[in-house]
Amino acid sequence: MITELLDLGLMVSGISLALLCLASFWIPKILGWKEKLAGLTPLMRELFWTYSFYVFVSHIFFTVLTLGFSDWLMSGTPAAAVMSGFMCLWWMVRLYLQFFGFDFEEVVKTRFNTLAKNTLTLLFIGLVIVFGTALAWNLGWVEGVGR
Amino acid sequence: MNAELMLWLLRLAGLMCVGLIVANFVAAPRMGYARNLEKADAIVRQIFFVHCGYIVFLISGLAVLCLGWPELLVSDLMGRVVCFFFAVFWGSRVVVQLTYYNPELRKKERFWDLFFLGVFFALAAIFTMGGFVE
Repeated sequence: MITELLDLGLMVSGISLALLCLASFWIPKILGWKEKLAGLTPLMRELFWTYSFYVFVSHIFFTVLTLGFSDWLMSGTPAAAVMSGFMCLWWMVRLYLQFFGFDFEEVVKTRFNTLAKNTLTLLFIGLVIVFGTALAWNLGWVEGVGR
Repeated sequence: MNAELMLWLLRLAGLMCVGLIVANFVAAPRMGYARNLEKADAIVRQIFFVHCGYIVFLISGLAVLCLGWPELLVSDLMGRVVCFFFAVFWGSRVVVQLTYYNPELRKKERFWDLFFLGVFFALAAIFTMGGFVE
């Protein structure tokens, strides 16, 4: 039972991550990055875009791993435990930031923005649960582990 | 390539990553991140520091992996996939440095420009080799 659930969870997570990657193209526009970054020095602007790009690339990598290598992510090997643990921690930090790190006061409160924020929060919760379960699975903490 | 040599190269890559993490902490005050972002909107400031933190987090994870368990990166198909990802990651960082960063600033800081280009290139080369090693 848990095998099928985790398998399904990883598939849904992978699809959600793919959608997040696609939606990331609109985030700069929605948050008005171009206008807001205009006042920064060229170096800070370059750093901002570079960091954002590499975070985006990391999300693409997570998507590829989750969708293309879910069997490996559930293989029960130390490497699979390390990877699922790393992704779980990554999204845990993001979830924490969603509640306690970011100040959304400056973001225009439209119905779309509120929906997007709540959807993202749900997504982060889901990713923490799925990758946390994958970690537990790989460490042999959940029942039905076929190792 | 000799697997033992590959493991040592990966450990060297881990040390380079540690150096890059330290460099990030040195760069922040040297480049005046906080000062330069003072007048920016709060959301811009927060995104900048969050993304910066995530990059340091990612490189730290890679450093731990390379220094502690380099064999995981060459033991199976998945390890090779991770190696290829980081080959692209660091290879693209060379391209970003050469094509996107301000040439004036790079000229002003020529030593560090060449130094980091060398580090990024070496990392890209090591992970590319890691992706191919049997």
